Amino acid sequence: MDKFAVLQLSGCAGCEVSLLNADAWVDRYKLVYMPLVISAYDVPEVDVLLVSGGVRNDEDIYNLRRAVRHAGQVVAVGTCAISGGVASLGDRDAVRELFIAEEGRRHVPRLLPRCHPIDAFVEVDRYLPGCPPTPELFMAVLFDLPDFQPSRIVCQECGRKKLKDMRPKHLLGFQQGEVLPDVCLINQGYLCIGSSTRGGCRAPCPRAGHPCVGCRGPSDTLIEKGSSAWFESIGRVFATLTDVPPEEVEAGLRSPQLALFLFQFSDYANTPSVGRAGRPPRPKEKVL
Amino acid sequence: MPTLTFPLSRIEGHAQVVIEVQGGKVISAHFQAMEFRGFRYFVQGIPAEQMPVIVPRICGVCSTAHHVAAVKALEDVFEVTPPPLALKIRELLLLGQIVQNQATSLFIFTMPDRLGIASIFSLADEDVGEEGALLATRVLRVRKAGTDLITTAGGQFIHPVKAVVGGVTSGVAPEAAAAMRDEVEAVLPIACELFDYYWEQSLALRERIGTWGDDAPACYIAAVTDSRPNYTGGNIRVMDAGGVVRDVFPARDFRDFLEYEETDYSYAGQTSYGGEVLRANSLARINMARHMGTPRADEYLARFRMAFGQPTHALLLYDLARGIELVYALERAIEILADPLDGEDTDVGYTLRDGEAYGLVEAPRGPLIHHYLIEDGLVAKAEFIIPTVHNVRAIERALRVAAERYVTAEKVDMELEHAVGRVVRAFDPCIACATH
Repeated sequence: MDKFAVLQLSGCAGCEVSLLNADAWVDRYKLVYMPLVISAYDVPEVDVLLVSGGVRNDEDIYNLRRAVRHAGQVVAVGTCAISGGVASLGDRDAVRELFIAEEGRRHVPRLLPRCHPIDAFVEVDRYLPGCPPTPELFMAVLFDLPDFQPSRIVCQECGRKKLKDMRPKHLLGFQQGEVLPDVCLINQGYLCIGSSTRGGCRAPCPRAGHPCVGCRGPSDTLIEKGSSAWFESIGRVFATLTDVPPEEVEAGLRSPQLALFLFQFSDYANTPSVGRAGRPPRPKEKVL
Repeated sequence: MPTLTFPLSRIEGHAQVVIEVQGGKVISAHFQAMEFRGFRYFVQGIPAEQMPVIVPRICGVCSTAHHVAAVKALEDVFEVTPPPLALKIRELLLLGQIVQNQATSLFIFTMPDRLGIASIFSLADEDVGEEGALLATRVLRVRKAGTDLITTAGGQFIHPVKAVVGGVTSGVAPEAAAAMRDEVEAVLPIACELFDYYWEQSLALRERIGTWGDDAPACYIAAVTDSRPNYTGGNIRVMDAGGVVRDVFPARDFRDFLEYEETDYSYAGQTSYGGEVLRANSLARINMARHMGTPRADEYLARFRMAFGQPTHALLLYDLARGIELVYALERAIEILADPLDGEDTDVGYTLRDGEAYGLVEAPRGPLIHHYLIEDGLVAKAEFIIPTVHNVRAIERALRVAAERYVTAEKVDMELEHAVGRVVRAFDPCIACATH
């Protein structure tokens, strides 16, 4: 039986919880290291190493580098491992200084200046975006699932109808208003970005009436491009379906809860707005 | 002076225990949380309305509690009251979290300590008999009923989205509710069988090690009432070691009753109550319960009371208390799913307002408070009062009790390593939450 391991860096364990829901691996793969559920303190030789969480402190770097030595394939799982995730909100001038308060602690791993994606330190063979990826996506990365055909974008998996004659003039807050069933959330004035977000999750959020926040990152069409291409693509969808002023859409897209996920692949693409050039974009073939 | 360091597994997150020993005496026992992301800092400047989407990322295990606490904090400052249907769906959401969490803690985190194995997922390598062989599959099935409940009531099972300011985005369709009810009904007997097995194995463990662990008196803290516990949070209650409820207070008054301090050896702080050790989580709630209010859970509670009394302080009883709650949450979910959940009246409107926002829920680990100062619609300051932090002093006290049992002038009995794991897991700490 093939062996796999799960290394958790600084994150929330949501990816691990999702993996536990994908119970069909139990009979088909041997899980040899995952501190959340197994008492084992070293990563042995494995066929696949799943890494969740970002690199936030010096111990994360050490654990990551040590673990990949024995791994056949390294998979970056979830937004934190791919881009630093929610902890990247700490990488803003407005709050950076607050973290200095943590420097007085001893005997704990030292914080790095920011949260890094794991491919800033090690080679990554595959990327599994999502916050967290669904159990089905975990299964798809561990096995070849013949029946699993991810859609290109979340819209195709959502099932809500786009209407031509329902054109909101302004955006509603994420929390506001009564959500109509079966009607596209964009028609209802919500800033839903399922039209550019890669499919495969089966759209649980928009189906439940909450706009897609883009946690799976950009679709294959956009993933190797910069964030401006994302903005334009979403802007075009809103221009077609609504009368919301473009500035309003643009401002909404830059709000933290969307920026968090929106930028997750743009950091290595050629994006002056983010500005960490020097590495090529992650090729779409590596992203599930 | 030898320093014993124990890395920890089968808990959420990165933590270790460090015990200092000198001449056969235990000098100190520290519980160190080793990771930090800084939510309390980096949510500053974020539009308050976005908090219900951002804060579930504090923790993938307790995300539901953070999601609802954020929504409740905003409802507090916007002065809106959700309709009864929304409250019922939120109750279902939090019951799903109790099922998921208690099943994980009992059967994945602590069952291996009773069976003397590294994990229920390595059973193929172990001699655990017939009962053990099917364990992992059955455990995951019970757990999954919890996550399916969260999906049904919350839209997404790890970082739910359906609770919104003023209510929920949608109800639950009759077909979905019926299918969910069938699943929970099918899982309830499996959960009871697993719990019976767990109870037996716990008695065997007690025989083997000769103790239920630290049983010194403590004060207990919880935000549930004493019958048919509803985890959506009302007032916080503190009960003393003799079983007398000493204080009842709303979330916004917590500073008048609880003291908080930070240490330099851990990214998690610690709380106390008038200088006394506090305990939160399952044993706190069970010690305060008159009854659970559902038949099978009440049978287990009666059996528990008969064996251990009320209140009871021995540490490893935390785990048994979790099993009673697991059974209750499944039974209560069945009741709720029999009610109509697809009404039109799912939420009410609101107007943004600035001010001090307090949101409280009873998370699996105890009372969770979100406190935001909102200025111009943005979060100017945020505090997360985390249940695991209420337990840190109690964890360290129990670690010291365990260390004193196994450390003598001649030697350190290596049973200490197992004892350290059992102590910490009894509290089911969540490090991602505790440090956030």
